[in-house]
Order: sequence, then C-alpha cells, then structure tokens
Amino acid sequence: MPETIGLHSFILSHFLLTGAVVFALGLVGFLSRRNLIVMFLCTEMMFQGVAISLVAFSRYHANDTGQTFVIFVLTIAAAEAALALGLVVLLFRRKRTLDALAWSQLHG
Amino acid sequence: MLTTLAVDSFSHYAPLGVLLLIALAFGAGNLVLTRVVGPRRLGEVKGMVYESGVNPISSARRRFNVRFYIVAMTFLVFDVEIVFLYPWATTFPSLAEGSELAPLFLGRMLFFVLTSVIAFAYAWRKGVFRYD
Amino acid sequence: MNPMLDKLSTLWPEMTLLAGACVCMLAGLSGSAVVRRSPRWIAAVSLLLAGLCVATSSVAEPRHTGAALVGVAGLAVYVKMAIVAVGLLLLLIASQVPDRLRQTQDAEAATGRGGVFDPAGVMRGEFFAFFLLSLCGAMLCAGAEDLVWLFLALELTSLPTYVMVATSRDRAGAQESAVKYFFLGAMAAAVFLYGFALIYGATGSTQYDQIAAFVHAQSASGQALPPLFIVGLVLAVVGVSFKIAAVPMHFYAADVYQGAAGPVTAFLAFVPKTAGFVSLIGLLGPACQANAEQLQPVIWLLWIMAVLSMTVGNTLGLLQHNVKRVLAYSSIAHSGYMLVGLIAAVAAATTPGAVTAGEHLGNGVAALLFYLVAYGLATLGAFAVLGCVTTDQGDEAQTYDDIAGLGQRHPLLGVIMLISVLSLVGLPPMVGFLGKIYLFGSAIQHGYIWLVIIAVLNSAISAVYYLRIIGACYFAKPNDQTQVAVSPAVQLGALVAAVGAVMLGVAGGRLVDAARDAAAPPDAAVVETAPLPDGDAESWSPQWADTSVKW
Repeated sequence: MPETIGLHSFILSHFLLTGAVVFALGLVGFLSRRNLIVMFLCTEMMFQGVAISLVAFSRYHANDTGQTFVIFVLTIAAAEAALALGLVVLLFRRKRTLDALAWSQLHG
Repeated sequence: MLTTLAVDSFSHYAPLGVLLLIALAFGAGNLVLTRVVGPRRLGEVKGMVYESGVNPISSARRRFNVRFYIVAMTFLVFDVEIVFLYPWATTFPSLAEGSELAPLFLGRMLFFVLTSVIAFAYAWRKGVFRYD
Repeated sequence: MNPMLDKLSTLWPEMTLLAGACVCMLAGLSGSAVVRRSPRWIAAVSLLLAGLCVATSSVAEPRHTGAALVGVAGLAVYVKMAIVAVGLLLLLIASQVPDRLRQTQDAEAATGRGGVFDPAGVMRGEFFAFFLLSLCGAMLCAGAEDLVWLFLALELTSLPTYVMVATSRDRAGAQESAVKYFFLGAMAAAVFLYGFALIYGATGSTQYDQIAAFVHAQSASGQALPPLFIVGLVLAVVGVSFKIAAVPMHFYAADVYQGAAGPVTAFLAFVPKTAGFVSLIGLLGPACQANAEQLQPVIWLLWIMAVLSMTVGNTLGLLQHNVKRVLAYSSIAHSGYMLVGLIAAVAAATTPGAVTAGEHLGNGVAALLFYLVAYGLATLGAFAVLGCVTTDQGDEAQTYDDIAGLGQRHPLLGVIMLISVLSLVGLPPMVGFLGKIYLFGSAIQHGYIWLVIIAVLNSAISAVYYLRIIGACYFAKPNDQTQVAVSPAVQLGALVAAVGAVMLGVAGGRLVDAARDAAAPPDAAVVETAPLPDGDAESWSPQWADTSVKW
C-alpha cells in the first residue's frame, strides 16, 4: 500500500464510525417509523452510511474500487427512489394515507 | 508522515469554518438589525406571503398533480446517467491513438446511451411528457 | 486476447435477455393489436436464444486462464441453463397475467370501440420485460466474480420483481405486498451492501480471487481472520438471506406470496432464491480458503439460520389456513433444507488436509444446485394450479376450502397438485426425495448428525400440512363457489413441471452429475487462486494449473 496517499487508520476509524452511525440511525428509523416516505428515507440513509465507509476504505487502501462501488450504489439508490416514489403514489391514491399500518390486510 | 497528512487535511477546513461563521453572523446580524431598527406595522396585506407580488390564490399545501411525481421519477433516472458518462469522458481521450480498446470503450458507452434512448422512447410513448 | 472482450463473450445469454426486454417494453406499447400482444412470444424467443447461447458456450467457450473465471464457469453454465429451463415454464404459466388486469381490458375495449390505443395503463410489455430482466439478474449472479458485480446483479434480480408483484393483480393486496416486499428488500440490500463494504475494507479488494488470496495468506500464516472480514461476511449472508427467504429475513414471504398472483409467486419462489443461493456460494467460496476454526462464526450463523428457517417455516406453516401462505412458509423451510447443503459444503472446504476437499465441496453445492431445480419445479406446479382456481369474488383461490375437491372437478390439475406436493414433502419417486437424500447425505458425511436429525423431523412435521392440501383436493366435498379455468399455456407449463418432477425423481442421476460437474470447478479455482507471493511453494507448482484446466 503506498503510504503517502493512504489514510491513517486512526482517521479511518472516524469515518467508519460516522458511516456506522448513519447506517444504524437509518436502521433504527426504518424499524421505528411508520410513514412510508420516512421509512424509505431511512433506507437511503443506510445506503449513504455504507457509501461513507466505502469511500473511507477506498482512501485507506489507496485504490479506486471503493469509489467506483459508490457510483454504482448511487445508481441503485436512484433506481430504488424512482420505484419507491411510484409505489408510494400508487398506495396513496388508493388509501389517502402514508401510514404503513393502514396496509395490514394480509395476515395469517 | 501519515499523521502530518492527517493534520494537514484537517487544517484545510479552516477557511470553511471561517466562512460558516461569517454566514451565521450575517444571518443572525440581519435578523437582529431588522428587529431593532426596522419599523413594525401589522396587517392582513402585510402578512401575505408576497407582500408586493401576486395575490395568493390558495394554500401552498395543496396537492400537486401526479404528473409532477412522474416527471421527478424520470428525472431521477436520467440524471444518474451523467455519473457514468463523466468518468468515461475523462478517461477516454487518454487511451492511446489506435488502441484496440478505443472502439470497445466507445461501443460500450454507445450501448449504454442506447438503453437510455430506449427508456426515453418508452417514456414518450407512455405519455410522461404530455401535459394536457 | 483482450481480457475485456473475453469477459464479454461469457455474457451473451444475459445480453440476449436484455435485448429481449427492451424489445418487449417497446412492443407492448404498439398501436397495432398484433404487435402489442407479442411480448410473451418475444420473451419466449429471447429465452430460447439465451438457452442456445448457454448451451454453445459450455462447449465452445475456451478455458480461461484467469482463475476466478475457471472457478465460476461450470457453476454459471449449470445455473444459467436451469434458469432458462424453469424460466420457460414460468413464462408459460405467467403468460396471461397482464391480460387479466382491468386496465388492460379497459384499454383494449376502448380500442375495440374504434378509439386510439392509449398505452398509459397497459402493463403487458413491462411485465415481460421485467420478467426477462429479473432472470438476467439471476444469471449475472451466477457469473459474478466481484462484489460490485454481485451487488448490481442481486438488485437487478430484485427490483423488477417488486414491480411484477405490484402490477400482478388489481387487488389492494397485491400493492400492499409489493410495498412490504420493496421496503424490506431495500433494507436487506443495505445490510448486505454494508457487509460487502466491510469485506472490501478488510481485504482491500472486491474481486473474489483477490479476497481468496487474502484469506489464504491469513490462513497460511496462522493468523485469525480480521474481525472486520467476519462481520462483513455475516452481514452479507444475513442480507442475502432476504432473497432466499430464510430466517432472519423471512418476514415478508407469507404476505408477499399471498398478495401476488399465483404465477408471479412461483417466480418469486424460484428466481430470487436461485440468485440468493448462487450468491452465497460465490461469497463463501473465497472465505473457504480459511480453516474451519477461523470460519467458525460463519458456520454457526449458517447452522442457526438453517435450523430456525426449517423450524419456523414448518411450525408456522401448520397454523395457516391459506394455501398460498402455507406454501410461503414451506418456501422458508426449504431454504433451511438447502442451507444444510451449504453448511456441508463450507465444512468440507474448510476441513484441513483434505486434498479431496473439492469433491466434498462439490457434494454439498451439487446437492444444493439440484435441490434448487427440484424445488423450483414442485413449487411452480403448485402455484400454477392455485392460479387456475378463482372464487366467486373473482379472486384467486386462497384457502383450503377454495381448492376442496379439485381432484374430482379437474383431474389433471389435481394430479399436478398431488405430484408437486408429494415432491415438496420429499416422497419417492418424486424429485424432492432424491434432492433431500443428496442434501442430508452431504451433511451426514461431514458429521452434522444433529442438523440432519432436525431436518428430517422437520420434513415429518411438514408432511402434515402438505397432506392437508392433498386431503382438501381429493377427500373434501367439491366446492361449487369456485370456478376452474385453465388456459392451455398454464396447463402445459404445470404439466411439464410435474412430469419433470417425476422424471427427475426416477432418473435424476444425470442432472446430479451435471450439478456435480458444475460444482467441481470452483474448487479447482479455489486451489488455484491460493498461490500468493508469500504462499507456499507447493501450490505454485504447475500441476495445479493442469488439474484445473482438465476439469
């Protein structure tokens, strides 16, 4: 690993911690919130937490793979956002609410 | 050496911090100044969103036409294309003249753009861009 | 030859499917009635062409010197072939799904009254385009040799299925299940993506062969694997378990299977599951360069996942009154059975000193690959039959009462249901029996006696609810509140699946051989990728390279 462009592991841990916190906040939000849009934002937050870790690792290992990965992650996130928007609009037109609990017709 | 780099990279942010402080001071200062110096007149017209602009016709919290969401979705997807075009465009000229990779690289990007064209044709036919 | 062009040449089947999807999408919007009804034919043709590409590539494809490529070639060919074959049957039973939608019928009716065709609400082209794209994603999972690639392939498999579920029926239930599926899927994707990021962070590369080299170096020098790598692997496995509907990511299965139309449910039960298991095989391959002790946390994780999936699936399956939900829980339980094979494979590959490790790994993975097809055929038949029965409210058959007396009302559908369910139970001479023998046999070989005992007990429990389905079909008073309407395509698809289930059960040896051949090369690659600059001299010796080329 070329040391001059690498990231010190102490600094790396800061970025990783930030990424992990963002990811965990997203996960907690996803599990606790009931508004569909907010839930979707939370999954996006989880993706962004991963992106932070990826970029930090990329800098640490001094290769571009992590950053390339982030570009693809962003693409998938955009595709999911478009899909989520479509689904949420569809659901809202049917029930006039975004509360996830309004959708519990299916059960055992 | 690594530690120096780390410290250096943090000191790069000093101007940003100054800028942030100035921005905060500017905003807070203006608020305080208008409060202290400015005259205070209350009334229905004074409380309107655009006091000297067009009269508002309804609440701003009305529902938007669903078309806007479809346009937003379409924008989102086409917008991301750029993310791939840009790195490609910066590396493509650096390929050696007459390299056997050049047609391959160009072909791949053309294929990629072609898929967007198909998506565009699809959206067109589906009536995404029709506003009547 | 240029490595990039070389890489492209292995992707012809996927590109065929992609092209087919594009054509489907545009053809479905055509103003001409003939053209816009054609996407199902276009989909069939592109699937057949893709199958042709796979078949020819397995013979003509030059053996690559790149270790990772050799490693996945055999596996990829088998999985792609299986996806094409089951995909064609799925296409047969799903060919009517978009035509049944109200908006399609409304648009066609408006055209019939002399109006211009309005493509806005019609989903014909999209349905088959997404169908092909999802199959394409599953194929790409099989060929993945890089974490970035695997991530994209997994998402390409999943994203279309969300739309297929949402638009498969007019009911609110379909949309509810789609939204549950989508949100949990996005969450699971973030989880395995985080796992991938940590694996990259620990090893410095996203390529399988380099990860394998890293793990081998750690293992050879006697160091423990970095915790970051283990955590990453655990997160990746947990995240991918969403695709295979295994505990702890199984919550969506029952609701989604219930809400989607029968043929789409059959699709969900086969395609994402195949993609998930193939991804797990790919992910665990490089990790198996370590010895069993170093990999213990992951083996325990798989063990717990297997036991919980089997037990939770079968226990909750007992409590259901809705046949689609029963089959959903059965899908969870079957993921548990297949994980047993995966555990055997991992155990074999990480047992030190086993030169024949390849064969053992092959056994576990071969059993898993065989069972995937067995399960796909059986579940396809069952869901196809359910899709043929409609209640008076115009809804699909759901409860045991809805299918009561099906055996008397429509003998052919009854027999197909019987064969499918018996295959799911694992009774001879159905293919499920053979599959289970291979799966549990591979685990016994590696001393997982308790695991196999739990699995067999679970199979016995599952027989209760499976036999309840048969009981409803054959021994209950026929229900006159339901209609049975079979289209020839559905009948053909389900019949072929059922015949396949019996034929493979009777003469499945050939497919097992194929699956074993498919599973064998990865080990050749694992052995060959082992050499590192500081690796031991023995693994550098050229005879290893010879072995892998011969395979």
